[in-house]
Amino acid sequence: MLALLGATTLVLVAAVRWMLPAAAGETNLKSPQNVEVYIIDDTFILQWNRSEPSVKNVTFSADYQTLENDTWVKLPGCQSVASTKCNFSSVKLNVYEEIKLRIRAEKDSHTSPWHYVDSFTLFGKAQIGPPKVHLEAEDKAIIINISPPGTKDHGMWALDSSSFTYSLDIWKNSSSGERRTKTVYPRDKIYKLSPETTYCLKVKARLLPRKTGVYSPVYCIKTTVENKLPPPENIQVDAKNHIYVLKWDYTYENVTFQAQWLHAYLKKIPGDNSGKWKQIPNCENVQTTQCVFPKNTFRKGIYLIRVRASDGNTTSVWSNEEKFDTQLQITPFPPVITMKSTNDVSLRVYISAPEESENKPVNHHYPLIYEIIFWENTSNAERKIQENRTDFTFPKLKPLTVYCVKARALIQEGKWNKSSVFSDIVCEKTKPGNTSKTWLIAGVCAALFSIPVVIYVMKLLFRCISYVFFPSSKPPSTIDEYFSEQPLRNLLLFTSEEHTERCFIIENRNTITAVEETNQTDGEHKKYNSQTSQDSGNYSNEDESSGSKFSEESLNQETE
Amino acid sequence: MSTKPDVFRTCVWPACLVGLLITGILSLDCNLLHFHLRKVTWQNLRLLSSTSSSFPVECLQETTAFELPQEILSHTQPVKRYIKEAFYEMSIQAFNIFSQHTFKTTWEKDYLKQIQIGLYQQLQYLEQCLEEEEKEKEDSKEMEQNGINWSGAMVSQLSNLELRRYFNRIDNFLKEKKYSHCAWEIIRVEIRRCFYYFQKFAVLLRKK
Repeated sequence: MLALLGATTLVLVAAVRWMLPAAAGETNLKSPQNVEVYIIDDTFILQWNRSEPSVKNVTFSADYQTLENDTWVKLPGCQSVASTKCNFSSVKLNVYEEIKLRIRAEKDSHTSPWHYVDSFTLFGKAQIGPPKVHLEAEDKAIIINISPPGTKDHGMWALDSSSFTYSLDIWKNSSSGERRTKTVYPRDKIYKLSPETTYCLKVKARLLPRKTGVYSPVYCIKTTVENKLPPPENIQVDAKNHIYVLKWDYTYENVTFQAQWLHAYLKKIPGDNSGKWKQIPNCENVQTTQCVFPKNTFRKGIYLIRVRASDGNTTSVWSNEEKFDTQLQITPFPPVITMKSTNDVSLRVYISAPEESENKPVNHHYPLIYEIIFWENTSNAERKIQENRTDFTFPKLKPLTVYCVKARALIQEGKWNKSSVFSDIVCEKTKPGNTSKTWLIAGVCAALFSIPVVIYVMKLLFRCISYVFFPSSKPPSTIDEYFSEQPLRNLLLFTSEEHTERCFIIENRNTITAVEETNQTDGEHKKYNSQTSQDSGNYSNEDESSGSKFSEESLNQETE
Repeated sequence: MSTKPDVFRTCVWPACLVGLLITGILSLDCNLLHFHLRKVTWQNLRLLSSTSSSFPVECLQETTAFELPQEILSHTQPVKRYIKEAFYEMSIQAFNIFSQHTFKTTWEKDYLKQIQIGLYQQLQYLEQCLEEEEKEKEDSKEMEQNGINWSGAMVSQLSNLELRRYFNRIDNFLKEKKYSHCAWEIIRVEIRRCFYYFQKFAVLLRKK
């Protein structure tokens, strides 16, 4: 018994010691507070606050656990840390898997209870760090070269090497205002700057849809002295039937131009693409400010186009890179207009798609807006309206006046502004204003005329109804004739039994006559018999023995 | 008077049809883009399907299940924004896969380029749509403050994470197999699945 008691007390003491280690060691350690995980790119930081700043020589240790693995593993870089922060970037983990962390304070052989951090994914907590930026100056532009945040090809953004989009903030160093914000490619050019001016800029990376990084430090650079030859401006590509027309503006003469293209997707991939630009056919050494090339030069896709000028000795820098999407190079077709004058001195306009066109579906698929120009034939005053309806009315016009209308289709969608040529002009005269009276008269006339018609129709209808629902009670004449001599009450029975009865009667007569004849002969026999019997009756009593004698004799004669 | 029914037949009826079509498209945010998206996704799917007619037999034993999160369609369906986000995420990841520098493959290079061009186009349209919406959102920030949006964002974030896990598996597979011929063939088949999803997303976006 004593041994058992001793054992239990030992166990109890041990349990108490295990549960409350501080109670025995006098140092009641508390677990750290406000534990936070900060992740920027590939740097993972765990931060916390001391619960008892007065207690000296306290260190902290953290464990982690993945969902796949149920055991707690020591978090590298976060063992026996004396400060309130540790870097666990060296941990090898799938950044998309959920992990759990726990941390406790330690002093000598004593430890605090664990503080648990809610499960999270490294990616979910990760912030995008500042990108590295390299700048090069031109006279009116700055070439920007951005390296994506994080380490290349592995780590946090391993899947995102091409996914980053960059927002750039640029301003003149001298002035405080006038900031420009722009979305740029990793390798891009910022245009429309002044020469010999210092510009400052900062860049942040973004991962659509909702991760936005921190800005890079501010970089400043001074643009160079203005070049003699400026680059061409306002580059524009227009699609015609089978060709593209590339146009640009240029102020100087006696220069030749050269145009190049690049697949726009290459810009999205980090790396140098300067060697991948290709010459546009028919656009080399052109002296005009435009060049024409067949549509089949470009397959479907998005392209970048740039142009530069050369006067033989010097060459300008490349122009702005103009984005050009073959799929969006659509010119809508002019609509077809029909106009109709209505009775309230208005003109109703119907707009429809052209019936015969080379590329029929184009107009149908786009949200078209119609620009309609409307004028009185004799005056020059035009009314211009924009409509997205295809059926509308110009109300309250002058009566008996000719009005004309023409329209064109527009595609207005953000940056794309396309318009068709104008349709044919359609003119129409409005109706006189007092049309309502004539209509009233016509209406009355029509009503008068329709009365006899209505009456006649009613009559017909009445006849029909009475024929169907109230038929006359007389039977048809044929039936009448047939049964004219017969009384009507026998009509039902008579027809079925008449013949058979006759037949019966005829048969009966035969049998009856036959029977009567036989009866007659029988009767004679009977009469005769009765007479004889009557006679024999007289004799019978007398001649009983003689009869028997006679029968005996005849019997004997028979036996002999 | 005799021209009256003709006018109606030839003009009003098609006009009504066009009107219906237009209102259908106008109800979308970036309406023109959705039309193009559908076209581009269809072209891309056709292109990827045509890159090789048969799967090489010697690669059969290396095939792996990458477990494309199929519920992505049903999860994102209620809100157009989520469809766009998932659509974008898948597109950008597919683009990244095809844009890896270590690309060594027997696929015809031209085809690969075409796929990249198509995917880039798809991305551009989606990016534009997302950015446009972002601006709209900034304009009406106070509407963001309610809890419904927050829980919605969680759903979208979770599906985004699922997609990333999936593409991470693909990425790891390619790295493990050292971008071998077979690895690429397997990935190509896998990515075709995504392209089918693109097609579905595009249809969903146009419908709404």
